[in-house]
Amino acid sequence: MTLPEPADTAAVASRLLDARLHLLDRQVLDCDKVPVTTVDDLELSEIPEGPLDADTPAPTITAMLSGSFRFTRIFGGRPPMSRLDRVPWSDLAEIGSALRLYTPRSRLEVGWLEGWLAAHVIGKIPGGRDDPQ
Amino acid sequence: MKKIFAVALGILTAIGGFLDIGDIVTNAVVGSRFGLSLAWVVVVGVIGICVFAQMSGRVAAVSGRATFEIIRERLGPRAALANLIASFLINLMTLTAEIGGIALALQLASSVHYLLWVPLAAIAVWLVIWRVRFTTMENVAGLVGLALIGFAVALFLLGPDWETLGRQVLHHGLPDTEKATTYWFYAVALFGAAMTPYEVFFFSSGAVEEGWTTKDLAQSRMNVLVGFPLGGILSLSIAACAAVVLLPQAIAVTSLSQVVLPVVEAGGKLLLAVIIVGVVAATFGAALETTLSAGYTLAQFNGWSWGKFRRPAQAARFHLTMIICVIVGLGVLLTGVDPIKVTELSVVFSAVALPLTYLPILIIANDPQYMGEHVNGSAMNVVGMAYLVVIVVASLAAIPLLLITGAGS
Repeated sequence: MTLPEPADTAAVASRLLDARLHLLDRQVLDCDKVPVTTVDDLELSEIPEGPLDADTPAPTITAMLSGSFRFTRIFGGRPPMSRLDRVPWSDLAEIGSALRLYTPRSRLEVGWLEGWLAAHVIGKIPGGRDDPQ
Repeated sequence: MKKIFAVALGILTAIGGFLDIGDIVTNAVVGSRFGLSLAWVVVVGVIGICVFAQMSGRVAAVSGRATFEIIRERLGPRAALANLIASFLINLMTLTAEIGGIALALQLASSVHYLLWVPLAAIAVWLVIWRVRFTTMENVAGLVGLALIGFAVALFLLGPDWETLGRQVLHHGLPDTEKATTYWFYAVALFGAAMTPYEVFFFSSGAVEEGWTTKDLAQSRMNVLVGFPLGGILSLSIAACAAVVLLPQAIAVTSLSQVVLPVVEAGGKLLLAVIIVGVVAATFGAALETTLSAGYTLAQFNGWSWGKFRRPAQAARFHLTMIICVIVGLGVLLTGVDPIKVTELSVVFSAVALPLTYLPILIIANDPQYMGEHVNGSAMNVVGMAYLVVIVVASLAAIPLLLITGAGS
């Protein structure tokens, strides 16, 4: 995808992002372009309860959520309170046809199952750690 | 010179890799019952798969995103999940049919019951996926699959009355014993056999596996536009062989040994041996492709790490998915279910599921944010839209026809 690269802050401000089209359900890659997860939901900063004052600051995106958050988007209901499957927005490096992060996969909370299976199942099978090329 | 070699290799692989157990069985069944009167469907199907594969390959090469990532992104989690369940189950059915096909072909060669070959075939499929490089795997299966040219050779050796065959192609008259609904049921089945969704999952993910970029687009277009139609000609020669030998004797194909009967009549044991090699290679290649597609679809929907170009431990869930799928397919076959029946059902359900994968690709192929200058041209869009209509009609008609005709019986 060829979203224009922001040249300065003004360009950033004018860049139109549609959460549904450009963020949600997009593939997330780590700093080595290894797929990590998809964006299953977005976390916004706290919005005060009750009627909002005119000077209440607009909420900002604080994190990309995944894993169990997928099910609440499909089936509805309350999102689970655990914050295991969360990638902070500050890790985001680039929004393209996939979302790229600054961080390597090993430093993220998401995808623990991948690590566990690699260590205990797939990695244990002979050849599981060999480079196929 | 190197370039010519690469192009030739790509085309040959595409020809050999085009056929799978679905094409082989469905074409033989149709040829034995309707002659060549359904040949037009093969033509429509082959053009369709060219359009579809070309688009999904181009999307993958330009954006780096494979088909199911795009399905998820464009359809959202709910519709994509429904799509995933349908596509995954149909793919699993095709995978089962392909492993059964390998075993049936080995039974023909060895006279050892196919159920004894099934576990070996399943293990071999997994081992190749586990150990063999992606391109090696693709090229070997495709090139050995070229042995299926033996069907075209058999047709010439049979010395058929070409005029009769030509009349069958042009006049879609039904044999007296067949009903119109059965004719249309097999039209849908043939269409599904030519345009199986796994081919597209595999083709687009393969583009990522092989690291295609926009520079490779010309080569990929050649492979598809030359290789697939030549593969389609092999499909037609299977149907024609059945039409020449089996139709006059009113033998309706229900087993693989009947599929190769015309070959034995034309070329004896030698040609039969060549064909069996071809069938084993074609079904083996397709078993690899469907197994990988099971991993691709699930991994891409969930955003897992995938691909044979990674160490297995770096794509653990992808590899675990494939292991489980091969085991499930093996289990289904060991119940003693007829692989030919599984094949016949899988091609019909392929036709049912096709719009689910086709539409998102058509949309993305027109999205300049993804494709830049490589969006569909207007001619491509006219063809693409026409096929959308054909695909939707075939999909809607498939299940009613399946029920009315009792699966074509």
